[in-house]
Amino acid sequence: MAITTKNRRVAIVGVGYSKVGRNTGLTERHHAAQAANAALADAGLTAKDVDGVGSWGGDAVDFGYMMGFQELRWELNVGVSPAFIAPAYHAAQAVAAGHADCVMAFRIMMQQPSSAKLAAGGAMLGAPNMEDTVFQYPYGNFSPTQWAGLLMNRYLHESDSTEEHFAKFAVSQREWALLNDDALQRTPLTEQQFLDTPYITKPLRILDCDYPCDSGSAVIFTTEERARDLRQPAVFVDSSALCSIHDMNFEVLPDMVRTAPVKCSNELWARTDLKPTDVSTAHLYDGFSVITMQWLEALGLVPPGQAGPFIAEGNTRLGGSLPVNTDGGAINVGRRHGANFCIEAVRQLRGECGERQVQGADVSVWANAVGPFAGAMLLTK
Amino acid sequence: MSQPATPPIIEDPFTLYFWEGTKAGQLLIMRCQSCGYWVHLPKPVCRNCQSMDLKPEPVSGKGTVYSFTETHKAFHPYFVDKVPYLIAVIELAEQPHLHFQSNLVGITEPDVRFGMPVQLEFAAFGDKTIPVFRPVATTADRTVA
Repeated sequence: MAITTKNRRVAIVGVGYSKVGRNTGLTERHHAAQAANAALADAGLTAKDVDGVGSWGGDAVDFGYMMGFQELRWELNVGVSPAFIAPAYHAAQAVAAGHADCVMAFRIMMQQPSSAKLAAGGAMLGAPNMEDTVFQYPYGNFSPTQWAGLLMNRYLHESDSTEEHFAKFAVSQREWALLNDDALQRTPLTEQQFLDTPYITKPLRILDCDYPCDSGSAVIFTTEERARDLRQPAVFVDSSALCSIHDMNFEVLPDMVRTAPVKCSNELWARTDLKPTDVSTAHLYDGFSVITMQWLEALGLVPPGQAGPFIAEGNTRLGGSLPVNTDGGAINVGRRHGANFCIEAVRQLRGECGERQVQGADVSVWANAVGPFAGAMLLTK
Repeated sequence: MSQPATPPIIEDPFTLYFWEGTKAGQLLIMRCQSCGYWVHLPKPVCRNCQSMDLKPEPVSGKGTVYSFTETHKAFHPYFVDKVPYLIAVIELAEQPHLHFQSNLVGITEPDVRFGMPVQLEFAAFGDKTIPVFRPVATTADRTVA
């Protein structure tokens, strides 16, 4: 008999976080268990309902057994990939195809060492056994902030964006965070405070980077039929896409402005009847703030090169024409590697965001990663 | 106080050519012997024609600045007394988008321009030699000087 290839409509029915924080002292298993229990409670499901697990961070099989899920019909560990979109995309596909009925996707990540520790020789970023580091370390290139500085500088060169626009972006993200109890950064921020922070890799400042922390995130995907009986209003996966265009050496990308999100966005829109103008809220990866700018343009939400001016006009704020990163983004909620954008999109579509709720939100897009690879998912009520 | 050790550089037979080149004052880049396509970073196969017949060949050392960033924080002890320094992506003259990541020397960050012509030179890195790039003095520069 051929492998099952159903084409079932997929819904997100449960979302949850661990107790996210700085250097929590907990393990990946603790964060996975906390996030899984939060997602199950959110959905009104029990552990025995789950028959598939996908994860980046820890181990999917280990988590499934630890949690007392039923015997898994589907499991996946993703390695280096466009972050949470990788397990999320494949989890949705597994449900759609009928390989599993109820899949939990995880992103578990532990805080990386500080730059002070790195400078003192107490730790190193990356894996020194990777042969490509031969072409990076001798030039003092160790940190993702360095390729991000290269991408941001080229983006500033080719677009109408300025460092002041990046300041306005950070301020608008912080305004959202002030309305979000899950955010770790909740003190008001001014443009001048942003511009006064030192460069890490000029033109990139520390407030252009997501906030390091220990985090666990879990999202439950199941069928439309099953979703109708559960606790939360179902949120549907309308379209999704993954794309990769290059190996992991961001530094030698042929074009640092139009990278994987461009092709990924074309794929996303080709798989749906919806259009960019239908989007109520956008949740766009901000591992570095330039990535959000590039997604706004790649998705066709703003014209090429115009993300900075668009943000500076206030369009992405509460009450703006296109609310963006309504949870405050990873710069404020902490590094959850894209999972926060999926979870916030779901919460906006459910209408449970309280003070930061975007009225009438019915279509939300979330997107992850940049450069060599990318992924995006379009969700509807 | 002694100089901190350089970061670890893996020595493997597939990138040995690079260090032999720099020792001899050459920047060697892998080139497909079947179709002539330059492949960097090195791979065992040509992504243009899938031939596995690649050999290192010297490049002219001419290029332009595609992007650059000034690093202000040290991420390794060796670089603590070297910040701020300029990391740059150089588009080598041999082929469109043949990007080589290196350092810019002989210039400060505010003076760097996208597309600026640069020329290869070599710098010490522990017991090795690495390729770095220096802006080419142009007629315009001399006029200002």
